[in-house]
Amino acid sequence: MQAAEATRRECWKCHAESGAALVCPRCAAVQPLPADADLFAVLGLPRQLALDLPDLERRYHAASRTVHPDRFQTAGPREREFSLAASAAVNRAYRTLRDPVARGRYWLELYGARLGDGGPQVPPAIAAEVFETQEKLEELRAAASPERRREVEALRDGFTGRLGVLRDALCALYASANGGAPSLDELKCRLSEIAYLRTLLGDIEDAMGEGLRGTDHRH
Amino acid sequence: MGPIIGIDLGTTNSLVAVLEEGGARVLPDPETGAALLPSAVAFLPGGEVIVGARAKALAGERPLDTILSVKRFMGLGLEHVSAADRRRYRFTEPRQGAYDPVRFVVEGRQVTPPEVSAHVLRELKRWAEAALGETVSQAVITVPAYFNDSQRQATRDAGRLAGLEVLRLVNEPTAASLAYGLDKQDEGVIAVYDLGGGTFDISILRLRAGVFEVLATSGDTRLGGDDFDERLAELVLAELPEAERCRADVRARARAAAERAKRALSDAERAEIVLGPVRRAVTRAELETLVKDLVERTAGPCRQALRDAGLRPEDIGSVVAVGGSTRVPLVRRQMEAVFGRPPLTDLDPDRVVALGAGIQAGILSGGRRDMLLLDVVPLSLGIETMGGVFTRLVDRNTTIPTSVKETFTTAVDNQTAVDIHVLQGERELASDNRSLARFKIPICPLPAGVPRVEVTFLIDANGILSVTATDLRTGHERSVEVKPSYGLGETEIERMLEESIDHAEEDVRQRQVREARVEADMILHATRESLAREARLLADGEWERIRAAAAALEQARAGEDYLAIRDAVETLSRETEPFARRIMDRSLTEALANRRLAEL
Repeated sequence: MQAAEATRRECWKCHAESGAALVCPRCAAVQPLPADADLFAVLGLPRQLALDLPDLERRYHAASRTVHPDRFQTAGPREREFSLAASAAVNRAYRTLRDPVARGRYWLELYGARLGDGGPQVPPAIAAEVFETQEKLEELRAAASPERRREVEALRDGFTGRLGVLRDALCALYASANGGAPSLDELKCRLSEIAYLRTLLGDIEDAMGEGLRGTDHRH
Repeated sequence: MGPIIGIDLGTTNSLVAVLEEGGARVLPDPETGAALLPSAVAFLPGGEVIVGARAKALAGERPLDTILSVKRFMGLGLEHVSAADRRRYRFTEPRQGAYDPVRFVVEGRQVTPPEVSAHVLRELKRWAEAALGETVSQAVITVPAYFNDSQRQATRDAGRLAGLEVLRLVNEPTAASLAYGLDKQDEGVIAVYDLGGGTFDISILRLRAGVFEVLATSGDTRLGGDDFDERLAELVLAELPEAERCRADVRARARAAAERAKRALSDAERAEIVLGPVRRAVTRAELETLVKDLVERTAGPCRQALRDAGLRPEDIGSVVAVGGSTRVPLVRRQMEAVFGRPPLTDLDPDRVVALGAGIQAGILSGGRRDMLLLDVVPLSLGIETMGGVFTRLVDRNTTIPTSVKETFTTAVDNQTAVDIHVLQGERELASDNRSLARFKIPICPLPAGVPRVEVTFLIDANGILSVTATDLRTGHERSVEVKPSYGLGETEIERMLEESIDHAEEDVRQRQVREARVEADMILHATRESLAREARLLADGEWERIRAAAAALEQARAGEDYLAIRDAVETLSRETEPFARRIMDRSLTEALANRRLAEL
């Protein structure tokens, strides 16, 4: 499904043909968002997983400049409301699309295949290490010795590296799909592995943070 | 429609600025030419209120009726106020179980922090109108980036009470970056380290082609230069006996003396804190030991902001120092330790936020279409769900404006209403976060798990939240206006506005005359009392000089020239100053002597 270029819409203010644009090309009034606009359409992009990040940022800045509430301080209440809604949508679109993982999750949502709500499953490939990590974190929480910290740091670096590899692989998958898209199952599988690693890294950071605070207090 | 002004409503000092052809300009006091208005408000007998330097000067004499640092109380309930801050003023007893904003008791009446702040804002409005020669009714006001929703709402209420339409609340570090960016046409990533009188903020921004995008922000709304003063003041207070140490007037004088010593120590290696007969020498090293832990507390938020922005210290192109407390050498060293480079200090750290507020005012009036600020919400927002869990709807550091919808259901059969408890914070448990608002929405009674209630959070460009809840089963939308838990009710604001309009309609000159007369009466009364009671402390010829100054003031007081009255007040105050110091010194000396006796 391509973006809503074909949509025929009329500007609420000057009644010129406004298409799918955020602002009327003739009178620059902010338009209400079409009900069917997805986050890709908000930034004028077709629905595709492969995105060029510098281009995305340029589009984000350009869209923000045209719809941000700062630009409509003196406008009427109706247009100010449209500006607030459009600006919120532009921000959400950028926040979601700039991150390949958030983008993938949003893609799943668009096609009705939400990632499991019960939380990510342990990927079998790293089950053993996960077990070991949880144990080490328990030890670190109990008593933070420099040696334990080093062990946990090594685990963290390992997982961080793996997360990087998985993200790169995800981007490669998007790029290789060539305008098409990977199967939803494939996408789901990869995203849940990444989600799992992120949670784990979060736990590690928290445990290390606690350890840090613990040592600070002793000074 | 007149010009839009930019206001830096600071903990210790406030400023007003506008954007003009040549750039932003700070507008001074039309009478004295001062740029900084001390954020001090003195409540006098008879309902008179004095703001600024003259109010600050009264703090030693009338410590409980002179509110300094009102910003530390904005948008809070008494339960959020630290023990040290609670000792400084009188408050009303909070009603049990009810959310209620802090209420000061001054001169026998109650005032809320927004009302106190409104006095400061009204004075700045007057300055701006005098400088610009036209009426001002719209403003941009800065707030600490780390201010929560209640604190922001309270600031907006203060503006409204001062007769200003607050077009935008801007985060202080972001405003500062506008002033720096405009100045240097920078591109890249900058960190703004803002340590003021009462609050600490750290913001990390990316500047690109006129777009100022905040990547992350963090901070501490209860950390600032005031805390340094408090620690230094303890040094000199420790030399006094217990009873004197607790006197509000002695403490207020000690804090003022400590602040002067702290400022001196930014340039000099040693200084003296002088409190009556007590002179306590203090070195810079000693100050640094005293405040070391406070300064180190800023490192945590800095690391947090870097982590949230996904950056390392070496990714930061430049570090900007904002707020008077960044003049303290130890603070500069701390900035360097965190970011690995010395901070930029080209702009006056006291003025840079006001200049930025002026620029943002210019952006809103269409004067700077090349610039755009994209700011973030500093703390996560969400609601309380089953088991007292905090469920986040908006993560901290999400760019604003933003909106989020989430659907919830019930846990009990045939519920006829859903309780929505809106919270802000980063903790897992609802009870550990700050309660913002609470409301009920009636729903169609159905078995547990069947109702569908859609909750929408909308955060505007000021970082202020509004919440809508819809029962999806009936399709009935119940748009609920979120009344902040620690805010003022609409009827209360209306009442305050009516009162302030009564004041506003009154002739400004008439008011100045009346205020000056109250000041005159206060000092005349105090002078008479002291002369009668402490005559033996008078020096040769002093009685005659004081009598002459008092007679001159009485004569001026009878006239209509408020500047003449103020001058006469100042003269009398100058003449009585050594005498007043001797009285205070005597009481402290006696107290010290008594203690030495007791210690023997």
